[in-house]
Amino acid sequence: MLKYIVRRLILAIPVLLGVSVISFFVMQLAPGDFLDTYRINPNISREKIQELETLYGLDKNPVTQYFLWLGNILQGDWGYSFVYKIDVWQVLLRRLEATLLLGVTTFIFTWGIGIPLGITAALHQYKFTDQALSTIGLIGISIPNFFFALLWLMWAANTGIFPIGGMLSREFANFPWYKQIGDFFWHVAGPVITLGTASLAGTMRIMRGQMLDEMNQDYAEFARAKGMPSDVVIYKHTLRNAINPVITSLGFSLSAILGGALITEYVFSWPGLGSLMRDAIFQQDIYLVMANLLLQGILLIVGNLIADILLAASDPRVRLRMSA
Amino acid sequence: MRKLLVLLVVALCTLTIFAQQAYNPEWLIADVEGGQRGGTLYLATTSGPKTLNTYWAQETSSSIIINQGDVSLLGSDFYGQPTQPSLAKDWGVERTEDGGTLYWFEMREGVRWSDGHPLTVDDVIFTWEKIIVPDLTADGNDVYMDSEGNLPELTVEGNRIMFKYPTVFRFGLETVGGFAIMPKHVLEDKVTDAETFQSTWTVEQIDQLVVGGPFKVTEYIEGVRVVLERNPYYFERSKDGVQLPYLDRIVFEIVTDTNVARLRFEAGEIDMHGPQAKDFPALRAQADEKGWNVIVGPATAGSNFVAFNFNAADPVHREWFRNDNFRKAVAYAFDKQTIIETLYNGLGVPVYGPRTNSSAFYNPEIENLGYRYSLVTAQRLLREGGFTWNNRGQLVDWNGNVVEFELNTNGENVMRNEIAVILVDSLAKLGIKVNYRPVQFNAMVQRMYSENWDAIIIGLVGGDDPGWSTNVWLLDGGLHFWNWSPEVMDWVDPNEYFVHPAEKRIDEIMRVQRSILDKDELQKLWDEWQMLISENQILVYTISQNYLNMHKNTLHLYPVEKYGTINPYGYSYSPGLWKIEYAWKE
Repeated sequence: MLKYIVRRLILAIPVLLGVSVISFFVMQLAPGDFLDTYRINPNISREKIQELETLYGLDKNPVTQYFLWLGNILQGDWGYSFVYKIDVWQVLLRRLEATLLLGVTTFIFTWGIGIPLGITAALHQYKFTDQALSTIGLIGISIPNFFFALLWLMWAANTGIFPIGGMLSREFANFPWYKQIGDFFWHVAGPVITLGTASLAGTMRIMRGQMLDEMNQDYAEFARAKGMPSDVVIYKHTLRNAINPVITSLGFSLSAILGGALITEYVFSWPGLGSLMRDAIFQQDIYLVMANLLLQGILLIVGNLIADILLAASDPRVRLRMSA
Repeated sequence: MRKLLVLLVVALCTLTIFAQQAYNPEWLIADVEGGQRGGTLYLATTSGPKTLNTYWAQETSSSIIINQGDVSLLGSDFYGQPTQPSLAKDWGVERTEDGGTLYWFEMREGVRWSDGHPLTVDDVIFTWEKIIVPDLTADGNDVYMDSEGNLPELTVEGNRIMFKYPTVFRFGLETVGGFAIMPKHVLEDKVTDAETFQSTWTVEQIDQLVVGGPFKVTEYIEGVRVVLERNPYYFERSKDGVQLPYLDRIVFEIVTDTNVARLRFEAGEIDMHGPQAKDFPALRAQADEKGWNVIVGPATAGSNFVAFNFNAADPVHREWFRNDNFRKAVAYAFDKQTIIETLYNGLGVPVYGPRTNSSAFYNPEIENLGYRYSLVTAQRLLREGGFTWNNRGQLVDWNGNVVEFELNTNGENVMRNEIAVILVDSLAKLGIKVNYRPVQFNAMVQRMYSENWDAIIIGLVGGDDPGWSTNVWLLDGGLHFWNWSPEVMDWVDPNEYFVHPAEKRIDEIMRVQRSILDKDELQKLWDEWQMLISENQILVYTISQNYLNMHKNTLHLYPVEKYGTINPYGYSYSPGLWKIEYAWKE
């Protein structure tokens, strides 16, 4: 098992290298660079722009720039943000908390509700509950996030039940801890429901389909025929088999959580990585974008690894393959 | 025992004396009275600051916040001109015997930084000698140079600071009177080189910030809000003796989406809002009920214009764009009034030249040149220019080429995008096919620096004084992008290079204006400058939206109290922030 994990981590290195090469050169293919806003500022002379190109290393050719960057990373220096003039990690860390809070809450929301609802729907196949849940799920998936978020905010503004965007109340710092937690949930509700309703239906449908497949398998029939109580068949045997593909999708979820939800973050003024990246790409703040992309790559790899390990825990066949 | 008692009394006395020696600088007396101290002003901004170092901030998101704490020798007036006292209580300009110019400033005494440290002549010298002269700033120090490229010589006599230029230089009050003064005692070891200085006072270093202006950033929660608090040592006082600023705090809430900013203003969470023209009627309808003060201010200073590439890669296109009648015809065919009525609810003004009517340098005569919408005039001009129409209604030039060109702008700018769409439509009526291709901002800038473009819609920002845009108007300027000189861009063929007579004269004006101290003489030049551009439509200017502002009527803004409108030289989306130290809340 340990050998397997180590092997996977070593294999990840060329993958990350590939990601970095491709993203670096794709960024270079995009026209212009960070200094373009300086270039159309009437107060800045051409000589000054050339000076700044040297300062930021933008006068070197892209291949040299890439190897300089890679060399620095191997020494633990990820470069600094042109816009913020601070280390890229400091910039990312300033946003990471908000992204994690939103991502984890959304994750709990979709999985915590999606899986039980999927099971319920499967158990009541073609009955009213199943159809009602499918309809609600489809509505959630078909309303664009942008529109849903604006509707939510207008409703919030008219009723005053929820805040009109943002992450913290004005008095947040003076609240006792339990009120601070309450304040967080009050603010996160809108983004979570916006993001959650969009992916809830997906999780629910996968769970329902898998459950139905497994319930119709011979072993389930056999167990029931043998006189095993229906609950035991469902929750001990079929559920365990049905959940495997859902676990596999967890690997992607982990990265998606940090990938941020650009549009939702934007409308709700949620200070996450999504909106930071949008600005960074527009401003061509290359090292910041690179650090974020690599962070995503690492998370995708770690996420897949965790998913595989969980899968091994739930499926003995997978465990056998890993130890081989 | 008695000794101890005596000692105690003495100590107490000393303490009282010190306590009475409260902050008492040579106050700057502001032209306001009757305001109330205290309160917090809530504002919305679309994005947080990127840096708090005023010399490295390039985005309004940063400068709108930093400028509240900046202090310089002179302040600017309602028209953006450096005519107001600030750290300098008295100042003047003198011609020296050797043909130079001397700017002198008498500095206020007893002023302190926000941390209580004295703010003196030393800080001015420090900023000048350690930051501006060695060029540690993002903008560079070209603006401080006279026409021969000299920086002034700084000398000090007591509290009198003197900047002496060897030639006649008229920008001194703006430049040496207007640079932000930095605290020597805080930054002394940060000014070794540009790289170190630019990473000073980043958003991570709020606790190190020390300001001389009215407000200082005390807290920034990334992406959530920026809190500014009053500088307890600000040196300005109202006529009735209240130390300014009136407000205790300004909170900038970061609201990325402008629709949401509007919702929050309607809900009363934000005190001031700069609505978009399309939202204006709906908001105005609620104003009485909600208790808002509604202001339709003057036209915004920056206007978008259409530039045609005189050095376009295609020699045929080049010919068209260099043809005066062609550009004039475009101006006539472009229905400015309809755009204002339909897209901006009538809240805009047509612009015919490089300055809008809110400018202190505006020449109203350009309105008499008659560039009003007229397809007939446009057709006549084109015919006079040698163009004809073929039997399919297409415009063709003197060699039979069908007129068709590409138009770019950065598509994310909504106003430019709308102008582009209407321009395409208008020119179609003249039989001209325009292929509109919106591009991303960086792509547009890259194109401007190359020969690979035909027409671009863009707006440039700079100071109100046209002298600040020499880089744009000089023939060999670094931003003379519609007609690059072969000296600047090596891909321009010197044999093909064309200089319009009007451009030649503009170049002369831009060169002499720097050394003209007489205001009237200068304005004559600016009048001529505007006429030359407008008459020949070197750049085809479009429209400018009015400044729109709504605020709770419990908020008192100084320009509104005094001038009945907001200051046009503030920031585009909240121009009312000018003289924020005078604002107060009931």
